[in-house]
Amino acid sequence: MNSVVFGQYYHANSWLHRLDPRCKLVSMFMLMIGVFFIRRLDVLALLFALAIILVISSKVPIIKYLKSIKMIATLLIFTFVFQVLFNKTGNELYTFNFTLTYFNLAAGILLLVLFFVLGRLVKKLRLLQFLATLAGAFSLQMFWVYGDVITPYSITIHDASLINSGIILVRVLILVCMSSCLTLCTKPTDITLGLDKMFAPLKKLHLDTSIFTMMISIALRFIPTLINEAFRILRAQASRGVEFSQGGLIKKIRQMVSLLVPMFVIAYKKAADLALAMEARSYIPGHDRTSLYLLKYKARDYIVYVFSLLLLAGMIVVRFVL
Amino acid sequence: MAIIKVQDLKFEYQDIKNAIGGVSLEIEEGEFVCIVGHNGSGKSTLAKLLCGLLVPTSGHIYIDGCELKAELENEENDMLRRRIGIVFQNPDNQFVGVTVKDDIAFGLENRQIERNEIIKRIDEYSRLVGMDKFLDRSPESLSGGEKQRVAIAGILACDTDIIILDEATSMLDPKGVREVLSVISNLKHKKTIINITHNLNEMVLADKVIVMNEGLITASGDVKTILENEELLKEANLVIPDTIKLLNMIRDSKISEDVEDEVCQLIFHR
Repeated sequence: MNSVVFGQYYHANSWLHRLDPRCKLVSMFMLMIGVFFIRRLDVLALLFALAIILVISSKVPIIKYLKSIKMIATLLIFTFVFQVLFNKTGNELYTFNFTLTYFNLAAGILLLVLFFVLGRLVKKLRLLQFLATLAGAFSLQMFWVYGDVITPYSITIHDASLINSGIILVRVLILVCMSSCLTLCTKPTDITLGLDKMFAPLKKLHLDTSIFTMMISIALRFIPTLINEAFRILRAQASRGVEFSQGGLIKKIRQMVSLLVPMFVIAYKKAADLALAMEARSYIPGHDRTSLYLLKYKARDYIVYVFSLLLLAGMIVVRFVL
Repeated sequence: MAIIKVQDLKFEYQDIKNAIGGVSLEIEEGEFVCIVGHNGSGKSTLAKLLCGLLVPTSGHIYIDGCELKAELENEENDMLRRRIGIVFQNPDNQFVGVTVKDDIAFGLENRQIERNEIIKRIDEYSRLVGMDKFLDRSPESLSGGEKQRVAIAGILACDTDIIILDEATSMLDPKGVREVLSVISNLKHKKTIINITHNLNEMVLADKVIVMNEGLITASGDVKTILENEELLKEANLVIPDTIKLLNMIRDSKISEDVEDEVCQLIFHR
């Protein structure tokens, strides 16, 4: 088993893992372009189902995918909410009536304070906490009309805007699922290798991509080393009394400097040494090299190519013909 | 004929004048040479000049009779430089590949050797340095000694005639030093080896020891004559090994010739 497991890669034994990296890259790229053609929620839902099938068949725990969705969850929810609230196209669907009074304004502020106090104690699921706070504040304004009224107001939901924001939401979800599929099921080194082989013919056009892929593979090689170095410096600075987790913003920035300066020096030194070592082993940028690894297409790769081409064609048809 | 011949070699860094201030030397094929000297004596610079990583200010370097030219971008020069391999001091910073296998293959890929041949050589040379069970390991999971052994395997796989070890053991723990030394001593007289070192145990392996100081060669000769010359070692700012001090004390006190001989044998393995 290969122990080069950094980045997102999760080792499992599924057909997605066994697929040729070039095939995965190209198919993924085609499907992603295709997804942008589609502007119908029903078709997107179908594609989303397909993405879910990919996710399940990759034999990678679902939690790994949820983690990558979580990273953009805040952005997704806010775009969705703002789209629904401020995009007024189509028929009216439902109108929420709110009444702002001094009492429920105060209650709302109190809830917000509660949210921040709670944040000190419970660090997990902050987004959910925030949404609950908002929902609480607004439901008070809907149902608990008490005291002097400041102003009544209403929010109307339109059906077209709901569908539009749904399209954006599902589209982004599909993209995240598919790109996670690629990064979870393919070793970073394999992705680099795939890119290297894919773009190798460009050399005939005097576009040399081998230098670029060499750079990526060296970066991949040195990420864990530099992370180790960072922890070493962190501990060294901590032993000299720097507290990285405390203090205000300015203090934190100042503490980061004590980490970043040595990190830069180390990175430059390592780069200089590595350049010498590579040159000493007769690496000449841009020269032809042979490769230890051979990528060979198998039947399943061709099937996936054909399938994704058909899917792309289908999506173009849906967009422009139907 | 000498495989390496250096004539009146000079080199200056921007801020250091006379980093190498006129060095001439000859190294025979299959010879095991140690270069010793304190920090900043120019020994590492000399190593980099020999493998064409630096361009000398003046002087000539001949590898097997062909001159290593000043301009680096040159087809003939590349072929010449391919006959020399170098192992650097820091085991981490010279590990190019993502795995052991990749790292051994790196030099071979650059030399455009066929894939099947690369696989064959990886197998052969990883076994030679005892790393054949670690082929898929990443550098983070290896010790310093293991990384240096991989570096040596990478150079052996390229089949260079000359191997330069630029303080290859100085950053290793005692176990790592032992591992690397056992690999090196197995190579003795199979390859031309230039070992730049501080370690007495490594000097003992050498056929010839060259002492450098302030960018110049101050002495050269076999291990025994160099190590017993206390004045010379002091002048070159080198630490005289305790064992040698002991030997000199025994000699000075004239206890018995037998003891002296025995200690001498113990130190120099002869």
